[in-house]
Amino acid sequence: MGNSIAEVSALKKSFGDIDAVNGLSFAIQQGETLGLLGPNGAGKTTVISLLVGLLKPDTGSVSIGNSSCAEAGDPTLTATRRLLGVAPQALSIYETMSAQENLDFFGRLYGLSGKKLRDRVNWCLDFAQLQDRAKSYAGTFSGGMKRRLNIAVALIHEPAILLLDEPTVGVDPQSRNHIFESIEALRERGMTILYTTHYMEEAERLCDRVAIVDHGKLLALSSVNDLIKQYGGASMVTGEFAELPKEIELPGELTGKLIRFASNTPLQDVAALSAQGVAFQTLNIARPNLENVFLTLTGRSLRDG
Amino acid sequence: MNQVLVMAIKDLRLLFRDKLGAFFIIGFPILMGIFFGMVMGGPSSGSDRAKMKIAIVDLDQSALSAKFISQLANNGSIELIETDLEPAKESVRKGQRLAMLVLTEGFGETAGIFWEKPPTIQIGVDPSRSAESAMLQGMILESIGQLAGQRMGDLSSMQDMVRKSREQLANDKSISSGNRLLINSFFSSLEGMTQSIEALQTDADDSSSSPVENGGFEFAKLESIDVSRKIDPASQAGQMKKIKSKWDISFPQSTMWGVLACAAGFAISIARERTQGTMMRLQIAPISQSGVLIGKALACFFSVMLVISFMVGLGLLLGMRPGSYPMLALAALCVASCFVGIMMVMSNLGKTEESVNGAGWAINMVMAMFGGAMIPVMFMPQFMKSLSILSPVKWGILAMEGAIWREFSLSEMMLPCGILLGIGIAGIAIGTSMLNRE
Repeated sequence: MGNSIAEVSALKKSFGDIDAVNGLSFAIQQGETLGLLGPNGAGKTTVISLLVGLLKPDTGSVSIGNSSCAEAGDPTLTATRRLLGVAPQALSIYETMSAQENLDFFGRLYGLSGKKLRDRVNWCLDFAQLQDRAKSYAGTFSGGMKRRLNIAVALIHEPAILLLDEPTVGVDPQSRNHIFESIEALRERGMTILYTTHYMEEAERLCDRVAIVDHGKLLALSSVNDLIKQYGGASMVTGEFAELPKEIELPGELTGKLIRFASNTPLQDVAALSAQGVAFQTLNIARPNLENVFLTLTGRSLRDG
Repeated sequence: MNQVLVMAIKDLRLLFRDKLGAFFIIGFPILMGIFFGMVMGGPSSGSDRAKMKIAIVDLDQSALSAKFISQLANNGSIELIETDLEPAKESVRKGQRLAMLVLTEGFGETAGIFWEKPPTIQIGVDPSRSAESAMLQGMILESIGQLAGQRMGDLSSMQDMVRKSREQLANDKSISSGNRLLINSFFSSLEGMTQSIEALQTDADDSSSSPVENGGFEFAKLESIDVSRKIDPASQAGQMKKIKSKWDISFPQSTMWGVLACAAGFAISIARERTQGTMMRLQIAPISQSGVLIGKALACFFSVMLVISFMVGLGLLLGMRPGSYPMLALAALCVASCFVGIMMVMSNLGKTEESVNGAGWAINMVMAMFGGAMIPVMFMPQFMKSLSILSPVKWGILAMEGAIWREFSLSEMMLPCGILLGIGIAGIAIGTSMLNRE
């Protein structure tokens, strides 16, 4: 397994005629944040369910743990489950219990008690920035606060791997930013994270590597830069000019006073055009992103998913 | 085990935190229990559709007492078994017979002679089935009325009775001469009437239906016998045991309503865990699926015990005096275990809180109807009566009655308690299996 802390191999899971996961294989390296990027229905949540042992794969295998962990293997085993912290996509907290009580209850379920439990509860409350609302019922929280508590509960037992299933769904921009900062803080502490999302901006910002999945299949897996380099295509240059010199050969298409072309060397190409007398009034160079990667790999946009 | 307790404590905490929810799981069942306690403890009426099982003790052993027994047996609503006094009492106390009748010595001498002192018929009715006792009394008096008609139709017996009465009249100096004249005149008329007795016999059926206590005379005097307790009248404990309230009798039925409501309410909590997403987190926690369910079961068990304890406390305040507290505790434990199992199955009958609630109450109603918590088993057709043995409610009621006033021995408690525990274990196994499969 090398440096990987979790590994899925040739994983298949069908529900009736629908192949939710179809031959998926990947490994999560210790300390990395691995993103599972794909549209809704791509099979991301099914992968999480298979990883935590909630579902049994039709074929293939899941293995959790590495040499640095005391236990390894089957996620249905109690010992293995202690390695995992899961923040499900649907909020899974007790609304008629306070933030502190939620953390305390789940901490006890994971075998914590006494000072260790109190310390962990306090750490989690700090992490979720809920110290001042520690004794308020979770039901009185805003959507963002509930999301933060949902993640904090997953961290109560200091898991080796944190599985975050679309943690920003239905969250306002401010809370989303707070969640990003919290996850970045966890990354800095060396936490191993599996992060599923259908927002390419989140994957680009938070993930060391990204696995592009669609219809239960793994389409590509690499770092963001590598994926873009490999599948993102050229940058798109869009410029508006006041006047165009005569007898100039232009790249791309011209619509009135608007020029648009793709380029692997956009800055050089723009400089060359300026040198030939093209005076740009506005200029936009769009670097390729994971959206382009997905488009290249599937022929459709992530948002179409 | 620690995690199971953590689960149970969490569920109880959630239960009591949700004030309205706690009311519907604990408070409402108690109110229902009180309501049904009032209803069950009071008199009611209705028509019989199945035979009442009656034990009869003939201490008179006369031709008339045999005739009376035969007439009562011919009543299509009664199934009679002749036995001795103590076995008869025992059979009623244990719920095997609805009532016992004792035809006292001398019954045959005066039965059916309306001018004589009425014969005594002692009657002991299962106190939990007061609804049927009035009906039984009516049937007894109907049979006595028929006996009177037949007796008057027996010419030689009639003349013999008149002759004896004339002798008594002649010897009784306390009767004034005016009255003596009047009664003698009546006897003379009666002797004349013997000529047309046959015509009177044809009307016997009609006369039997007339109320026996109308007109200022009785065909029979009915005396009550206490079959609910073995009381040593000389002992202080015996005197104390005589203190009863309707709660003594209605407590089992009313408590079962409380237990039913509590189990139905708790079944929803598992569905709620599903809908609010916390079930998933519990399933991936390092606690086995059975651990999660046992934690739930434990919380439900405590809640049911709380409801029963509250009802016992209330019953005691109202005058209930259980025959055996250890037996009552045993009955309560078995009832709670049984309904924890039923709750586990109920909780898997639907995906949402609404569907579980609906299904739970539907099952409760059927169990209560067949088990005798809603209407007495007595009023059911025979096939429904037979089906009642399938209802845990029936066994729950029997176990509690056994502890409170039927004075069941430990071995007698084994049947209802064993069945309750069996249902509980089966329910937990089925519920766990259903949840695991899901």
